[in-house]
Amino acid sequence: MATPQFYFEDVVLHGVVETPALTLTETHVALYSGLSHDSAVEPGTVPELLPLCLTTGLGWRVPQPPLAVLAFMGFEWEVLQPVRVGDTIHSRSRTAVKRSLREGGVIVEDRQVINQRGEVVHRGRFTFLVAKRPA
Amino acid sequence: MADARRYFDDIQMGEAFESPARTVTEADIVIFAGLSGDYNILHTDAEFMKSSSFGERIAHGLLGLAIQSGLLARAGTPFATLGLGVLRWKFKGPIRIGDTIRVRAKVTAKKDGPEPDRGVITLERQVLNQRDEVVQEGDTDVVVERRAGG
Repeated sequence: MATPQFYFEDVVLHGVVETPALTLTETHVALYSGLSHDSAVEPGTVPELLPLCLTTGLGWRVPQPPLAVLAFMGFEWEVLQPVRVGDTIHSRSRTAVKRSLREGGVIVEDRQVINQRGEVVHRGRFTFLVAKRPA
Repeated sequence: MADARRYFDDIQMGEAFESPARTVTEADIVIFAGLSGDYNILHTDAEFMKSSSFGERIAHGLLGLAIQSGLLARAGTPFATLGLGVLRWKFKGPIRIGDTIRVRAKVTAKKDGPEPDRGVITLERQVLNQRDEVVQEGDTDVVVERRAGG
């Protein structure tokens, strides 16, 4: 049985996806730091790569099948302000580029991480190679 | 206790570091899937991946990113880091279960920071596997404290 997936053809150029939110706890920090040995710079804040690591999973909680990613090609990311333990973050992404290739296509997403006060705390741009719908 | 961290003023252009290595295991990938909520079949479905070109589940790219950050922290005396500014990152190849990765980093730029007590160091990083293939690479701009009165 084929798993439902969101293919290149399903992606809407300039479409916006807003995810549910997640409250960051000491447990997230402990699991992340134990796994990676990466730590927060300042006490009370979360390691700076943690929100980035959580943003793809937040995208799994929107009511549409997961993007049929063949490869995560790269990203650019900017840390605008610290995220603290107890902050509740969600992610907003917008399809900036949709380019068809012979096999699959390239999707570029502008992505923001937003806190409970509506402040954009991190932001960047992700590039994915995405499968086309099987014929 | 003396502050063993290295300040902006101490860091030289062209300085290079190599971290210890670490074997990425199935457990690392399972924990990362649980923590992040990213259950993409590339990382979680062993049967499906048998028929893929990888032959095996592969690590999340962002797991590799997190691990290299932790590895670099073990590469030498830490910088007096105030924060990370910008990352530009490319995923070049898969990290398979059982691969052993390490990170090589080099200081490629030093510039004044947004405030006089700090500067920005650009670190070029390469994540290599046990066959010396570059699996990830990128640049990070790190904000580092200057020595007081320095």
